[in-house]
Amino acid sequence: MALLPPVARAAGAQMPIFDAHIHFSHDAAKRLSAGEAAAILRGAGLKRALVSSSGDAGTRALHAAAPDLVLPSLRPYRRRGEISSWVDDGSVVDFLEDRLARFRWVAVGEFHLFAGQTDKPVPRRTIELARQHNLLLHAHSDAGAIDGIFAQWPDARVLWAHAGFVGPDTVGPMLGKHAKLWTDLAFRSEHAQDGRVDDDWRGLFSAFPDRVMVGTDTFTPERWHHVAWHADWTREWLDDLPADLAERIAWRNGEAMIRPHLAQLR
Amino acid sequence: MTPWHSRASAAARLSALSVVLWLLSGLAMPAPALQLTAEEERRILRHGPWPPASRPDPSNRVSGTPAAIAFGRTLFFDPRLSVSGTISCATCHQPDRAWADGRTRSRGHRTVERNAPSLFNLRFNRWFGWDGAHDTLWAQNLRPLLDWREMGIGPAGAARLVRSDRQLSCGYRRAFGAAPGEDDDLILVDLAKALAALLETLVTGRTPFDDFRDALARNDAAGQARYPAAAVRGLRLFIGRGNCAVCHFGPAFTNGEFADAGVPHFIEAGRVDPGRHGGIRRLRSSPYTLLGRFNDDPQRSTAAGTRHVRLRESAFGEFRVPGLRNVALTAPYMHAGSLRTLADVVHHYSTIDEERLHAGGERILRRLDLSERERSDLVSFLETLTEQPRRPVVRKPAHVQCR
Repeated sequence: MALLPPVARAAGAQMPIFDAHIHFSHDAAKRLSAGEAAAILRGAGLKRALVSSSGDAGTRALHAAAPDLVLPSLRPYRRRGEISSWVDDGSVVDFLEDRLARFRWVAVGEFHLFAGQTDKPVPRRTIELARQHNLLLHAHSDAGAIDGIFAQWPDARVLWAHAGFVGPDTVGPMLGKHAKLWTDLAFRSEHAQDGRVDDDWRGLFSAFPDRVMVGTDTFTPERWHHVAWHADWTREWLDDLPADLAERIAWRNGEAMIRPHLAQLR
Repeated sequence: MTPWHSRASAAARLSALSVVLWLLSGLAMPAPALQLTAEEERRILRHGPWPPASRPDPSNRVSGTPAAIAFGRTLFFDPRLSVSGTISCATCHQPDRAWADGRTRSRGHRTVERNAPSLFNLRFNRWFGWDGAHDTLWAQNLRPLLDWREMGIGPAGAARLVRSDRQLSCGYRRAFGAAPGEDDDLILVDLAKALAALLETLVTGRTPFDDFRDALARNDAAGQARYPAAAVRGLRLFIGRGNCAVCHFGPAFTNGEFADAGVPHFIEAGRVDPGRHGGIRRLRSSPYTLLGRFNDDPQRSTAAGTRHVRLRESAFGEFRVPGLRNVALTAPYMHAGSLRTLADVVHHYSTIDEERLHAGGERILRRLDLSERERSDLVSFLETLTEQPRRPVVRKPAHVQCR
C-alpha cells in the first residue's frame, strides 16, 4: 500500500476507480468502437478496468485501445449464451489454450460456476490453466464453488464476482476462510443507499479493508452508458467511509490484487 | 377433498357426460374437457373477480366527484393545454384506439422515447408511467403538461389559461369549490387531479375470461365449457410453464411493479432509457409526490411506498409490467412499441435472449421455445381479456355553458 500515493479527498478531487467488472462483448462492440468504449471508461474517472468479453475480440480491441487502463481477462465464452453450457463443453478448453498461447492476460473469467460443477473436466482444466499461467480467477459463483476452486488450487487468487449475491453474514466468513479471496460489488446496491453505507456492510468493509472492490458489470450494451453514473454513485457512498478505507475499496485493493499478475502482460 | 378437487371432478364428470350426449346426438363436439388440476384452478381464480373494489384516491380531494370528472373530460380534449395550442391529451390517448395512439413512440410536439400506454385501469396502479416516476395518477398527468415535447404548457401557462377562460374557470370552480387562486403550481396540480378523476373512471368491462373464471368459481361446468379450448390451453401456459402470471398477476394481470423483459432500451445510438432506475431517481427528486405539499391527504396514508422506495442496480432497464386487460386493443407493445403484435410479444418471450438478463437472482424468464400451436394458444387466451361488449367510447364533451 505504501507504494501507492494517497489521493486527497479535497473538494473537487475525483476519486479514481478500479472497476473490477467490465465486459465488452460482441453486441456491445457492434455499438461502440474500442476507442469510444475507452473514452467512456476514462470519462468516468476509471484508472483501471478488469475487462472480459463474450467473444474475446472485444477485450483484445479494448486493451489495444487503452493498454494503460484495461486489464485483459480471458472469458471462457466465445459468444453470449455459453454461461450455462461452458462447463460441459470440451471445446472451451481448446479455445482457452489457443487464446492463452497467443495473447497475454491477467485473469481468467468472469465465468459462472456453481457448487457441484467445479470438479467437471472443463472447469478443472480451466483452473489448471490459470495456475500454469499465474492468472487471477474471476468467478461468478456461490460459496460452494469458491470452496471448490480453493480445494483444487489452494494458492489460487480469486475475485468473487458480485460478492456471490449474498450478504455480509456469508461474505465475511468466506473472506475469513480464504486469505486470497477478494470480492467485487458489481450489480449490487444493498450496501449503500442515498450515500449512506449499510451498517452490516460497513462492518464487513472494516473487517476486511483490503478485500473489497467495486464494479459496474456491463453485461448488456446499454450498461456501457451506465458506467459514468455508476462511478459517481460509487464515489457518493464511498464518501461515507473513512478516507483510507474508501480509497482502498475504490482502487487500491484492485491494484494490490492485480499486481502479482501484471508481469503476465509483459 | 378440497372444494377445488370437487370442482375438478365435477368438470371431469360433465366432460364424460358431454361425450356421451355428443355420441347420441350426432351434434358437433363442444369444447373439450378442461381437466384443470386443483393448482391450476387456484391460480386461475386469483385473476378475479373483476372489477375489484376501489375507493377514491385520498391524495386527490376531487377523486370520484362528478364535477371533477366532468371538468377532467373537458380538459382531456382541450388542445389549449399545450404550449402550441395544438396538442391535447387525446392526441396520444385516443378514445377509439383504446386510449393509446397505435404508434411505436408517441408524438406530441416531438416524438418521445416511449410508447403511449392505454389509460385503462390506471386507478389500480401503485406506480405510474413506464418507469414509475410518479406515485399518483395526478402526478403522472403532470408530466405531459410540463414536458414541452408533449404538451408543455407549464404552471404559468396553465394558470393563465384557467384564470382567463370563463368556461375553464367555471369548471375549475365547480370541481374544486373555489375560483383559481394565485398559486400557479397549485392550479396546474388541480388540473392534473381533475384529469385523474376522469381517468379513474376508465375501468375495463367484463371479458370472456372473467365469465370463465367466475364459472369456475361457482362450479358451473356449462359456463366453463363456453370458453374456447385454445384459450384454455393458452391460459394453462400462462399460469404454468410460461411463468407469465408471476409478473402478470392478479385481477388486473400485473403485479404493479417493474421487470427487465430482455427488451433493448437504446433510445438512439449512444442514448439509453434507464427505465425504472431513472424513474426512481425522478420520483425522489420530484416535488409532486405523496410526500410533498400537493398531497391532499394529511395522514399521508398511501405514502409508505414512496417513502421506502430504494434505488437498485437491477432497476436499470426495468420497465412497468403492464396490465393485460384489453391488451389485444393496444398494439404496439413494450415500453417503446418495439413489438407490433401479440404474436410478436409471445415470440419474444418464447425465444428470449437469457444473456440479456442478469444471472443473479431467480430466473423467472427462460427461453420456452414454444411450438407454433402453443404460441397461437397464448394469443387466443390474451384475446379473451378483451371486454365484451366494448364500453361506449368517451367523447369530447359537447359545448355546454358553464355557469
